Amino acid sequence: MAISRRAFMRAGGLALVSLGADPIFLDRAAYALRSAGGAFAGKKTLVCLFQRGAVDGLSMIVPAGDPWYWQERQRIALPKEQLIPLNGMFALHPRLAPLKPLWDQHSLAIVHAVGSPSTTRSHFDAQDYMESGTPDVKSTPDGWANRFCSHAAEHANTPFRAVAFGPQLPRTMAGSAPSLAIDDLRTFGMRAAQASGEQKLTRAFEELYQGAATGLVASSSAESFEAIKMLKTANPTSLPPANGANYGRNKLATSLQQVAQLIRADLGVEIAFVDVGGWDTHVNQGADQGQLATRLDELASALAAFTTDLGERMRDVVVITMSEFGRTVKENGTSGTDHGHGTAMMIMGGDVRGGKVYGAWPGLAPEQRYEGRDLAITTDFRSVFSEVLQGHLGPANVSQVFPGFDHPSTVGMFG
Amino acid sequence: MWRSGRGLGTSVKNTADTGLCVPGPLTRRLDPRLTDMTMRRLLPGLGFAVLLAAPVPAQAPMSAIDSARHVLNRLAYGASPGQIAAIAHDGVMKWLDRQLGFNEVHDPALAVQEGIFDVLRTSRLEMQELQQKNKAQVQRAQAIGDSAARQKVLDQLRMDQQGDRRSLQSLLGQLQAVTMVRAVASDRQLDEILVDFWTNHFNVFMNKNQDRAYFADYLENTIRGHALGKFEDLLTATAKSPAMLYYLDNAQSVADGADARLAAGRGGRGGVTNPRRGLLPPNSINPMNPAAQAAQRRAPRGLNENYARELMELHTLGVDGGYTQQDVIAVARVLTGWTIDRTDAGYTFRGPVHDDLPKVVLGRKFDAGHGEDEGMRLLKMLANEPATMHHVSAQLCARFVNDVAPDGCIDDAVRAWKRSGGDIRDVVRAIVHSPDFWAPANVLSKVKTPLEFVASALRAVNGVPDATPRLAQRVAQLGEPLFQHATPDGYGERQQDWVNSGALLARMNFAVQLASGRLPGVTVNLDNVIVLTDDHAALVASVDQVVLGGAMTNQTRQTILKELADVPDAQMARALAVGLAIGGPEFQRQ
Repeated sequence: MAISRRAFMRAGGLALVSLGADPIFLDRAAYALRSAGGAFAGKKTLVCLFQRGAVDGLSMIVPAGDPWYWQERQRIALPKEQLIPLNGMFALHPRLAPLKPLWDQHSLAIVHAVGSPSTTRSHFDAQDYMESGTPDVKSTPDGWANRFCSHAAEHANTPFRAVAFGPQLPRTMAGSAPSLAIDDLRTFGMRAAQASGEQKLTRAFEELYQGAATGLVASSSAESFEAIKMLKTANPTSLPPANGANYGRNKLATSLQQVAQLIRADLGVEIAFVDVGGWDTHVNQGADQGQLATRLDELASALAAFTTDLGERMRDVVVITMSEFGRTVKENGTSGTDHGHGTAMMIMGGDVRGGKVYGAWPGLAPEQRYEGRDLAITTDFRSVFSEVLQGHLGPANVSQVFPGFDHPSTVGMFG
Repeated sequence: MWRSGRGLGTSVKNTADTGLCVPGPLTRRLDPRLTDMTMRRLLPGLGFAVLLAAPVPAQAPMSAIDSARHVLNRLAYGASPGQIAAIAHDGVMKWLDRQLGFNEVHDPALAVQEGIFDVLRTSRLEMQELQQKNKAQVQRAQAIGDSAARQKVLDQLRMDQQGDRRSLQSLLGQLQAVTMVRAVASDRQLDEILVDFWTNHFNVFMNKNQDRAYFADYLENTIRGHALGKFEDLLTATAKSPAMLYYLDNAQSVADGADARLAAGRGGRGGVTNPRRGLLPPNSINPMNPAAQAAQRRAPRGLNENYARELMELHTLGVDGGYTQQDVIAVARVLTGWTIDRTDAGYTFRGPVHDDLPKVVLGRKFDAGHGEDEGMRLLKMLANEPATMHHVSAQLCARFVNDVAPDGCIDDAVRAWKRSGGDIRDVVRAIVHSPDFWAPANVLSKVKTPLEFVASALRAVNGVPDATPRLAQRVAQLGEPLFQHATPDGYGERQQDWVNSGALLARMNFAVQLASGRLPGVTVNLDNVIVLTDDHAALVASVDQVVLGGAMTNQTRQTILKELADVPDAQMARALAVGLAIGGPEFQRQ
């Protein structure tokens, strides 16, 4: 197979990168080998990680330089000496330490005071809006990732173009473009005692569903059978973690490991989606220890393992974290935080211009807050999504992906 | 007279609301005393099922068999062998009446099965003691410095729990197991369906720390005890349940400044070791460092608005029900003092931490100083708000009729709600009597949830679950771990919540395992339900009747016959045919 122009340019990019010390992206030889291989080698992938339950962005990316942070959080502010400074204003939660090397290599960007213009403090409405990409419009039938896929035909020949890990297909991926939901790659497919039985059952069910299924059942099953065939050839679960990556044993780590396996097997994943819950910290959210710290620890460890595993391949992969809203600036009466407004997002990998916190900081003084209580929003989440889609996956018709959002602001994370 | 005529080929809707009465060829009453036989006598010459589909005369009437299948799909966990014919013979409404008066349905066989589950005889207090003991053991283990030794002790604890039928872990597993047994075997099927509905409407995450102690009582008494009663009573029961009080944090919410007042009343905070003891548990899963804990003890507690918001958003008014952030705060203040008394693991009202200033909720004043009564008045008010009637009725219609609840059905339900003061039986009856329930477009329009799929599959072949949670674990693998939905919205009701590539494959695998008798935790003997024959056409006809109630498409029949052609053994052929039918597309619908 001839090396495409895109692959060539990427190789040039790699040569430049290799001038600097780059301990995360070591696997160059293997990468060069593979990029000459499979049909989808070198495809760009976006991994969306949804922190369901509204993460406290002020604990994740701490505005340590804002005196009101310390004023309003006597019980849950992080110990100053444990913070990992990023710049004059912001610091990482100590449990996000595994992500610090990415920041130092300019591979991790942060957008703060980001969120939805909707005023809702309902988890479910806010998640719905972030996934449909249309704040305050409930009737939108599909998710923004699905709409992106409907308008980009390049990957149409693989069922793995849009893959969600979990027992349910998230709203973000729902719609007319095919998308897969995989709870666990290792158990995806028909199981029988003998291979012949497996084939017979697969064939029989495929025919049954081709014949009698309608609607969502028909399209979902068609995608399943196509995916089974590709998995049989590619066998991604046989790939052990590379570069000494050490995934933990939790669900998030397993899902991210399997995303990495699909990417490394060149199955043509364009958008992958992973859920991680446990962020709704109304009571005893803790500081450097406690429930939020435990969640952040899992998050950072899994992401660090993922980027290590993919090595050089992270040039083609961007990971973005999102959450439906943030939490109150002031801690509540039970050492937790209630539903708020703005929060923080992390974007890592690809050509993102990391090592920087993007977005204007609105300040935490009472008069600077949204409705006097929450972190105000200075960046619409759709501006971030638009920029990631265009900056990483390539030209996208943003007005079709985010209908009604005509004026995305420039965040400046790419190019 | 009630009303007639929606769907007469005209576009008239909601005639009762406009005061119009559109006469139709058939009139219906909702009088529960009206039996099928009376209705038959009233309308001689008309098939019984025509009555049910009466307002849609343009369509071919549903046969009695089709009506029975539909009712068993929606108001039960599917049909067991022979049940469709029996109900078609006796009359669907007779069956419904019996189900709505469910206490009269004696089910001695089920009672015997329930008898083996210790969890049904374990009090909330006993559960709390077990949970405390368990927590202390885990905390001791976690304090072990050496990680290998720590893991060894933790593993041993887990093994001990598994081996002991009276351990907390076993008891909670039994709760999932008995839920499967009841879904599959209970004669009070509608009761089981409604328990499932309300368990999700008033969702509590069973594994949240102390909820491991409270959840069994919540399911058995709070939900099951009120599933077919008055909505207001159900709402109040959930509001006072330790499970909900703990899950949505109201147990810990106190009036801002209450601690300081309490301390002052006792002559200073130093005089009381911990004013919260007995009132507030320390967080049990993630112990913080001692310094942070000390800081937390010193700091005064205050308001937590978690329950107040979900009470209005999910339990009553609905997210578009017209409340504001100020209402959320006011409701939280009204409910300060509603907490858990750890001495009896029950509800208590603690006046000293109640916010005794006046409040305004939804424009209505709550005068100062009425203590617990403020909360009672609030719940009564919320239970009877029009937005609540509409929101909950729409959810019931989505459950029973169509993922997108039809307006007419919601109207019927709301009318019954108003008329009966929120009697759940009347509301359900109105939904079943609604023309929308019987509209051809709504029949087989819903996809089964994993619980519905698994229970209906076992019912179809007379499968018997054992006393272990293994069958519930299969439901979990299909995407619905029972009582473990972490967020307060509960499991979804729409097909997009459940239909996706991975989930469908998992259902196919389940079906094949069940039919071949290899499903762990389940006994199946197909000899009792489906003929054993080398005549494949006869076999498939039998499978069609038993599994799909005669609704198999020709395409499915041909595909199954083709796959059977090279199967020499009759037993294997039967297992394959049943597995393909249960795992196939028709059986996913209801």
